[in-house]
Amino acid sequence: MDRIWHSVAFRLALLCGALVVASVLVLSSVFYFVSLGLLARNIDGKILSITERFSEDAEINGLSVLAQRIESTLSDGVDSDVEILLLTNARGQKLAGNISGWNDTSTPLDQTIDYVLKRGDQLLPSRIRLHKMSNGALLVVGRDMQDLSEIGSLIARAVVIGGVSALLLAILATLVFRRQLERRIWAIRHTTQEIEAGNLDRRITLSGTPDEFDRLSGDINRMLDRIQHLMEGVRHVSNTIAHNLRTPLGLIRGHLEEALRGVPEPRKLEEAGHFAIGAIDDLIVVLEKLLQIAEAESGARRQPFEPVLLRTVVTDLLELYDAAAEALGVTLIVDIEGEPTLAGDKDLLAGILANLIDNALKYAGSPAEVTIQVRETAEAVSIIVQDNGPGIAVHERAKVVQRFYRLSSTRPGSGLGLSIVSAFTQLHDGTLFIEDAQPGLKVRIELPKPLSQTV
Amino acid sequence: MLHTTPVTRLLLIEDEQDMARYLSKGLEEAGYSVTHADQAEQAKHLALTQHWDIMIVDRMLPHEQDGLDIIKHTRQAGIQTPVLVLSALASLDDRVRGLRDGGDDYLTKPFALPELLARLEALIRRANPSPNATLNSRQLKLADLTLDLLSRKAERAGQPITLQPREFKLLEYLVRNQGQVVTRTMLLESVWDFHFDPGTNVIDVQISRLRNKIDKGHSVPLVHTVRGVGYRFGLDG
Repeated sequence: MDRIWHSVAFRLALLCGALVVASVLVLSSVFYFVSLGLLARNIDGKILSITERFSEDAEINGLSVLAQRIESTLSDGVDSDVEILLLTNARGQKLAGNISGWNDTSTPLDQTIDYVLKRGDQLLPSRIRLHKMSNGALLVVGRDMQDLSEIGSLIARAVVIGGVSALLLAILATLVFRRQLERRIWAIRHTTQEIEAGNLDRRITLSGTPDEFDRLSGDINRMLDRIQHLMEGVRHVSNTIAHNLRTPLGLIRGHLEEALRGVPEPRKLEEAGHFAIGAIDDLIVVLEKLLQIAEAESGARRQPFEPVLLRTVVTDLLELYDAAAEALGVTLIVDIEGEPTLAGDKDLLAGILANLIDNALKYAGSPAEVTIQVRETAEAVSIIVQDNGPGIAVHERAKVVQRFYRLSSTRPGSGLGLSIVSAFTQLHDGTLFIEDAQPGLKVRIELPKPLSQTV
Repeated sequence: MLHTTPVTRLLLIEDEQDMARYLSKGLEEAGYSVTHADQAEQAKHLALTQHWDIMIVDRMLPHEQDGLDIIKHTRQAGIQTPVLVLSALASLDDRVRGLRDGGDDYLTKPFALPELLARLEALIRRANPSPNATLNSRQLKLADLTLDLLSRKAERAGQPITLQPREFKLLEYLVRNQGQVVTRTMLLESVWDFHFDPGTNVIDVQISRLRNKIDKGHSVPLVHTVRGVGYRFGLDG
């Protein structure tokens, strides 16, 4: 019982039922009192007009004429069975009418009142009005209310029957409503319990009608899709990381084992040692890059963004890579218009450009041309690094930003360069585009400028 | 190897015993007199009460102590001993904090011992500038190589050398640190002011281009490669 009180469905249904019953009751009562009241007022009006007409008649034409008129009224067949009329003279002797006489002296005069009239052995509920004329004669005008009270009790009975059936219907509705609600909520709870138990691919079954529950279930399902996608991403990343660390670790172990096999030679040991240190240093670099990506992807800015002059960054980088480009027979071309400025992290922006230039030097071939272009509009700064090398096939463009994805395993590289570019770009709210330079690769980065900056 | 004081006193604050043993051994072989502290309180006491030429401070110490607090205390006490912060906290944010809180250099674990030694040497040298470097601030000289710091021109044996501005800066750094090992990261940080790994051997290529301009046609080479570590500039390899 306590549980049922805690059910929202039950309380809601109960409230609705109670409201229905109450409104039925109010409606019936209003109907009852308004209809009966109208009839009663009609009757009172009639009684008053007859009294006035008859007493006037008597004052002008005398009591005997009125007595005759009363007799004819009672025998005209119009409402004769419900009309009550009596005329007595000043001494109380009946002159005309359909009741025997009037002994009750306590009845107030000139007021229409409820009165229980004795006719034979019958008690009749009625409305009556007494009027004493100037000569002392008494005129009683009234109406038998028996039929009206029958109508009243009929309406009352209808109200009670209606009310009770409304109550029963409300209870039934409560139960049905509660069951419906419970069923829909159970579907959601059942799914969430299964997900809690580890079945992340479970989804809430929709009923097909686009009601609130289906909309809520749809929202929850979409949220679950997103979470599952992220979870798979995380799982994929850790799998890839584990796999990519295993290979070099296996190599290091193999070299050391080989050097120690048989009689150790100092030269072999030294070589193995140097190889191990080199390979471990490479691993450290990979881990550092993964940390940088994770740091950027978490969205945490390591230092507040400050205005960065892109020309300076590009020039610094150019003076770092010029020797390498020269040695590889690659021409670096810088194309900057104006003085593009962006709120950002100088080291991260330099990291983006360094990785792109590094990629171009590695993969564009020789001789090649690498163009670094920076353009500024009111809304954004775009950075383009373009080469005239072999480019990247369309179906591989989306994959190259994945961690450890490499186009060629024969070239040196960690497969993290474009992942870093992508993560650093995202941290600056930018978008990375990998396009065809026809021929060659065109990497375009659009970095939006905050509104305050353009003012 | 070190010319400033006969014995260089080094305070090593590191709680991990294996790491401390390995570091002490390497540092003593390099000529330092090493005192090791593995507790924050003991380390603070030593740092404040004795004279040190240089300190190595690990960040994560027992009982949730941060090595940076020790540095802050010594700096508040007016002690300007150069400090190298050693830490497994690799994020650039941690690095920025380490340098802001009074560290003079920041090296993340794992690191190469030669890198640590090269950085220590540079720190000590910066704290005790050699007299001949300050004597003539207009010119830098090494053997027959002359750098004019005002006109930004270099010549060797009377022959002018054509250098781009950044190449001049690189050469200037090498001459100022002559006789010492400089690592690739040190060059990247000091000459280019970049704090990331640029991937390919860009620094090696820069050095080989400079070597071509400086040493080509001269019998005595000035630029020497130190295997697995970096470079040394000077008359003797």
